[in-house]
Amino acid sequence: MSGILPASHPWRSRATGALALAFAAALVIPLAACSSGGDSNGGDAASTTLTYATGDAEPTCLDPHVGGNYPQALVGSQVMESMVSLDEKGSIVPWLATEWEQSDDGLTWDFTLNADAKFTDGTPVDAAAIKANIEHLQNPETGSSTGYLAVQQIAEVEVVDAQHVRFSMTRPDAALLESLAQPWVAIMSPAGIERGKEANCAEPIGSGPFKVSGWDRQDKITLVRNEEYRTPPTGFEVVDDSVTEIVWRFIPDATARFAALQSGQVDIIDNPLPDQITEAIKSDGLEHLNAPRPGSSNRIELNTAQAPFDDAKVREAFISATDLNAGIETLFEGVTERSYSALSSVEPTAVQSPKAYVFDQDRANRLLDEAGWSEKNADGIRVKDGQTLTARFPITGSQSTQAEQALFEQIQASTREVGFDVQITPLDLSSWYGALGKHEYELVSAPYTKIGPDVLRFLYHSDATKPAPSGYFANHSMLQDPELDAKLDVIGTESDPAIRAQAAKDAQEIIAETHAILPIYDQQNHFLYRSAVQDLRALPTVSTPWLGSVRLGE
Amino acid sequence: MRTIARRALGAVVVMFTVATLAFIALQFIPGDPAEAALGGPGSQATEEALQAARAQFGLDRPIVVQYLDFLWRLVRGDLGVSYSQHIPVAEVLGRAVPPTFILALTALIAAWLLALVSVLVASGSSRIARGFTLMIDLFAAAIPGFWLASMLVLVFAGSLAWFPAVSTGGFNGIVLPTISLAIPIAGFLAQVCRSGIDDAQRAPFIESARARGESELGIRLRHVLRHGVVPGLNLTAWALGSLLGGTAVIEVIFARPGLGRTLVSAVNGRDIPVVLGVVLLAALAYVVAAFITDIVIARVDPRTEARIEQAVPRA
Repeated sequence: MSGILPASHPWRSRATGALALAFAAALVIPLAACSSGGDSNGGDAASTTLTYATGDAEPTCLDPHVGGNYPQALVGSQVMESMVSLDEKGSIVPWLATEWEQSDDGLTWDFTLNADAKFTDGTPVDAAAIKANIEHLQNPETGSSTGYLAVQQIAEVEVVDAQHVRFSMTRPDAALLESLAQPWVAIMSPAGIERGKEANCAEPIGSGPFKVSGWDRQDKITLVRNEEYRTPPTGFEVVDDSVTEIVWRFIPDATARFAALQSGQVDIIDNPLPDQITEAIKSDGLEHLNAPRPGSSNRIELNTAQAPFDDAKVREAFISATDLNAGIETLFEGVTERSYSALSSVEPTAVQSPKAYVFDQDRANRLLDEAGWSEKNADGIRVKDGQTLTARFPITGSQSTQAEQALFEQIQASTREVGFDVQITPLDLSSWYGALGKHEYELVSAPYTKIGPDVLRFLYHSDATKPAPSGYFANHSMLQDPELDAKLDVIGTESDPAIRAQAAKDAQEIIAETHAILPIYDQQNHFLYRSAVQDLRALPTVSTPWLGSVRLGE
Repeated sequence: MRTIARRALGAVVVMFTVATLAFIALQFIPGDPAEAALGGPGSQATEEALQAARAQFGLDRPIVVQYLDFLWRLVRGDLGVSYSQHIPVAEVLGRAVPPTFILALTALIAAWLLALVSVLVASGSSRIARGFTLMIDLFAAAIPGFWLASMLVLVFAGSLAWFPAVSTGGFNGIVLPTISLAIPIAGFLAQVCRSGIDDAQRAPFIESARARGESELGIRLRHVLRHGVVPGLNLTAWALGSLLGGTAVIEVIFARPGLGRTLVSAVNGRDIPVVLGVVLLAALAYVVAAFITDIVIARVDPRTEARIEQAVPRA
């Protein structure tokens, strides 16, 4: 180490000079490299490589049957297709299946498949492939935790002929088509599945507009255009000059992601911060796509099974004490609207009940007095029988964005004014699920993405208070209401759309009347992109971006 | 020779202890590792699927058996298979080590360069320069890495667009992450080096060197600086640890592949074999760095060489 500064040199002049030179070089060389690198990305009109930067977690497996979460859906939607899709109004439309028919008893479904559909390994999307995929989902070795729920009621899949497949059901399932439209039930090449989990996780073979060509973990997935693509879902088209390559990058930090978009290093980003959305809307070179997810709204659930929210008056008081509209306005700067429903506003059966969620501090105080919480301790927190009016609120970054956590803090402040002590505890995802499993919560926020009103049955049926083998249960508000259960059963089994929609409306009204939830807004799903990106739309299924017909202009 | 054998044995003991402590600690974190294979925490998988995952990874065996099996595989160099990625841990680490190694190395070099510049400026006679660098060092040492990184992204990638906001795989992509990691460490290094220099300047051997008729310049180079950098060199092993910790934040912000990012996602997903692999690798890096630092210090400061040879513990 004595070599750092040779002892015989006049260090004041020579050594510092050398250092200065080194620093100058360190600054200039990357600048030169930067300017030459920048041109190849932004300036070349013939370039059809699109860079998508996601803030969602990197999938650990690209086969959406394994596990089954939103990050898998985002990239999977570019590679794999489902049997059916949705149109903008939320009605089921053909995709890999062109026609279908349900038997009168609801126990048999017959599907006709699109004869043009081919996997990128050259094999046809035929009845045998559908059978192999449903069985792959149902096999415990696959480790499916989302997609298998969609095919639980399918007892047997019968190959009638190459283009026709028949499902025999254990019981009628009114939500079957909505379930099959989800990307977690996407159809893959049976030959690809047979390679085993490691290979199929790294490179699933679908029939979609792109195929996986490489995956540098923690960096990017490269997708190349499927030149033989013929089968976009109803409402979408194949275009000749669509992008030929997608670089799918993982950029977890929101600031870096937006800076990369502004500098043209990437073309599309997801999960922008609210102030970035407002900045993009004002900016000339950037566009905004707002595509709320289907299923539930983002809402705070009140645990009705334990004190203090086992008392309906206390629940109503909590909701009345919350000035949510003001908080949403300041934190989200008008990029999103308030929800008054358990369902996402993109669900055709969603019913808004604004009257159930009015901010009224006096009413909150009166209700708490009536409920026996009439005294306050030195800190201004209400007390009853020696107990303080405390509500534990575990939160996790995986379920709630930073802006949303700031909103929760506002709720904490506004409910404190009437004497609630809301204790917000940030946890990592495993610990958060652990806290829920042990019922160590009075308040919780956990959005749930699923197509159709059947999500209400998943979230509020008394059956959903029973934990899954992992300890997970979806009915966090612990509602156990026979009248509500009856309505939810109708949603699950009734195939008449009008009767089903009425049941969904009734169910939402019952949920609003029980004061078991505080709806906030739709599940936020925003995309920002450079103006050069043309024809970017979201698939109406679970609102993942559809890059199959996107072109890059100037 | 005996010293090397002694140190090697020490390294083995350290690695064994780290492996055992990490294994035990991971038993106490909440969450079922079997869920890692089924899409992560909060899985709605069936009992059959959970059992299949447990059987696949041997999680259905008694904990002592799992521990002994883990040690036995470790001795043979087998780190197991990632629960969530379904590929060998060695492969996961093999991908993550080179980018982190390069980043840590460039950051360490940059930190030393910055620290030496600061020390050289401050050891001059100008009191203003001295006060100024002192302030800069203090600020640099106190600055949180994530804040610095975000500021650099906003200014140099967003507004000025001099550097890419996120890793490009090329040279220009490593500049901002290197600076983000180097500045806080440079602040620490400069502070400890400067106090070493102050001590040396007041030391009697400086007077005797002067009395021998050595030039002021020669004194500074041969005696003052040489003494000054020793405390900094002693800190280099610490700096390496700080760098590895820093990469967990910096790699996430600049979207660089690497060990830090691997660790963050493995901890969140309860991918225990990967967590253990990263922890062991970090411990190994520490042991190696401490060894190299000792050798380097021995060359700069001959007194320590004698101490190392006699295996006398350093003060």
